[in-house]
Amino acid sequence: MKYQHLFVCFEHDDGNPLSVSFEMLGEARRLIDDFNKKYSLDEKVIAIILGHNIRSLCSEAIQAGADGVIFSDHPELRYPKIVIDTKIISSIVRDRKIVSEAAQNTSPDYIKPRYMFFGADSIGRHLSSTVLAELESGLASDVNKLVIDDVIITHEHKTKGKAEKYEKTLFMYRPDFSGFLWTQILCLDNKNPELSREYSPQAGSIIPGVFQPLKKDATRKGKIVEYEPTFSGRDLKIRITKREVLKSEIPLEDKKAVVAFGRGIKDSPETNIRLIEQLAKQLGAEVAISLPLSKQPYKVSESIKSTYFIPARVVGTSGKKISPKLYIAIGISGAVQHIVGMKESDFVVSINSDLNAPIKDESDVFIHGRLEDVLPALIDSIGKLKGGK
Amino acid sequence: MGNSINVAVMIKLEPDLSEGNVSYNPDGTLNRSQTRSILGAHSAIASRAAFYSKVLYDSNIKVCTMGPPTADVALKQSMEICNADELHLYSDRLFAGADTLGTAEAVKTGIERMGSIDLVISGHRAVDGETGQTGPQTAWKLGFNFLGNVIGYSIDTETRTLHAKRLIEMQGLYNVLEELECPLPALISIDPSYKERYTTVSQRLKYVRLQKEAAARAQNYKQFFKIWTAKDLGVDPKYVGLPGSPTIVYKVERIPKAKASRKAKVIDSSNADELNDLGKKLLEMVNSKG
Repeated sequence: MKYQHLFVCFEHDDGNPLSVSFEMLGEARRLIDDFNKKYSLDEKVIAIILGHNIRSLCSEAIQAGADGVIFSDHPELRYPKIVIDTKIISSIVRDRKIVSEAAQNTSPDYIKPRYMFFGADSIGRHLSSTVLAELESGLASDVNKLVIDDVIITHEHKTKGKAEKYEKTLFMYRPDFSGFLWTQILCLDNKNPELSREYSPQAGSIIPGVFQPLKKDATRKGKIVEYEPTFSGRDLKIRITKREVLKSEIPLEDKKAVVAFGRGIKDSPETNIRLIEQLAKQLGAEVAISLPLSKQPYKVSESIKSTYFIPARVVGTSGKKISPKLYIAIGISGAVQHIVGMKESDFVVSINSDLNAPIKDESDVFIHGRLEDVLPALIDSIGKLKGGK
Repeated sequence: MGNSINVAVMIKLEPDLSEGNVSYNPDGTLNRSQTRSILGAHSAIASRAAFYSKVLYDSNIKVCTMGPPTADVALKQSMEICNADELHLYSDRLFAGADTLGTAEAVKTGIERMGSIDLVISGHRAVDGETGQTGPQTAWKLGFNFLGNVIGYSIDTETRTLHAKRLIEMQGLYNVLEELECPLPALISIDPSYKERYTTVSQRLKYVRLQKEAAARAQNYKQFFKIWTAKDLGVDPKYVGLPGSPTIVYKVERIPKAKASRKAKVIDSSNADELNDLGKKLLEMVNSKG
C-alpha cells in the first residue's frame, strides 16, 4: 500500500499545546478506529511534533489518541517557522524508515500519508498550504465534519465522464462564509487516462473548538521516535529577532457578562451600537461582535469603527471562544461559526426579529422583536432597577 | 537602480459584502447574481502595503490576478491604491474551476514571467473562498520565503533583507507579536490589522503626489493592462484549472439545523412585564458572586 496512516501535525507554542491539537487527535482516533473496522485494516494515527524540549508533549499526544509520535527536537524549532517546518514535516512523512518505526505495520511500498490534519489557525492554515504544495496534493480548509467512505464519482476531468469508484475517500465538510451552506470537499486521484495522477494525502485544516478531545488516558501506549532534522544555511537566514506574548486588548475571556451584536444592527448601526454600549455598561459587560462585523460592512463614525469593528472582538471560530455567565446575542442569526464561540456560556439571551433564527436553539431566553424596540425597553427597566437601589 | 525593489501583488475579484451592496437570499445564503464584484477587501489592504514600498523604495509594482475578463475592475481598483506600473490578468477557460493548488500554479508562472521579483504581496484571504491557501502555496511553488499575518514591514535595500512584524494568534492561549528578518525574495500575506507609517514630511509629500498619479493612471488603466492566456504563460494545462486541482467540490448543501441545545423561553418585544422581569434577572446574575 503506497498511502497509509493518518498524520496529525501537533501545534504548540514553545511547549504549550494548543487545544486544537488534542481535538484533532480525538477525531483522528475515532475516524481511524472506524476505518480499521470497516476495511479490516490496521492503520495508525501518527502525531508529528517539532519543537525544543518537547518530550512531555509526545507522551501527551499518545495519551490523547496517537498510536505513534515522530518528533524533532532542536533549538531552531522552538517556535513555529514555516519554511523549515514545512521541509521537515514533508521529509518525515515521505521517509518510510521513520514512519515504519512509529507504525510497525507500515507497508514496504509506502510513499506518503493517506490522510493529514492541521489546525485551521495562525499556524496550521499556512503550514498546511506549504506542506501540501510540497507534497502536491489536495487540501480543504476550515473543516468541521469528517467522514470516510467509498463513493462513485462521474466527473469531466477526474474520470473523463465515466463512473468510477473511489475507495476510502475523506469527505471534508466546510461551512461557507455565510455559515448557512456546507461544502463537501474531496481530494481525488485523476483516473482520467489522459490526466492520470494520484493525489495523496487527502488533507484538511480543522476548525479549533469543533471536535471533542479524548479523555486523557495515561495507560495508552504508543511508539515515540525521533527524527534528526537537517537544515540548509539558507533556511536559517530567516530569523526571529524579537518575540512578545501579548495580552488581549479586549478581555472578553475574563468577563462575567458579554453583549454581542451582529448584522441585525443594520437599519441604524450608529444608534443601535450606542444602545448596545449603554446596556453593556449597565451590566458591566464587554462588547463583542460576530465575524461579518469585523469586515466593517457599515458606514459608521470612525470612533465606532475603530472601537467595535475589530477582529479582537470577534466571538466564534475566527475569533474567541468564551464562556461567560451571561451572553446576550443581539441581531445575531447564529451561524455555526459563531455558535462555536459562545455555546459554553452559562445563560444565553438573544434578541432577534426572526423567530426561526438558529440562535434561538442556543438561547435560554429568546426575545422576539426588533432590537430598536427591545433595547430601549430593556435599558429603561434595568435603569429603573439600578436607580431604585 | 541596483537596489530597486520589484514588487508583485496578487489580488482577487470578490463579491462586495458591504451593506447596501450585498444581497442575501431569504435563507441567509449569498445571492451571487444580485451582488456585484469588486476588489476584495484583503486585496485592497495588500495593495496598500505595496504602495508603501512605492513611496519608500520607489518600487516598480505589478499587480496580477487570475479570473474572468471582468476581473479587470479589480486590477483597476488596486491600481488606484498602489499606483501600479503594470496590470496582469491571467484569463483563460483552461484556468476555470481551479482549487488553490491549480490557482497557485497559474499565478506562480505569471509572477515568474514578470522578470525579477523581490517581494510578492498577497491578501490575508478571500472573503468568499476564505481558505487563505493560495498565497503560501504560490510562495512555495516560487521557492520564495513566506511570512504570513504580516502587520508591518520594511526593507533594507542594501542587504536586500526584509524586516517584518507578524501577529500570530495562538488560539486558546494568547497572541504573539513576532519580528523577523529574512532574505529577499519573499512572499508576504498581509494581516487585516496591517498598518503603515509615513513618518517624514518628504514621505508624506511623496504619498500625496503618488496618490494623484495613481488616480490619473487608473483613468487610463488599459494602457498598463495585459491579458495572459494559458498559452501566453506557457503553463502545462495539466497543472492548472480543473485538471490541475486535486480537490473537487462534491456537494453543497444547507447545514442541517443542529439539535437545539437549549429550550428557549420566548418573550415578545411588546411584553413589557416580561422584559422587566428579565432585566431584573440579568442584573441579579451579573451582581451575584462566583
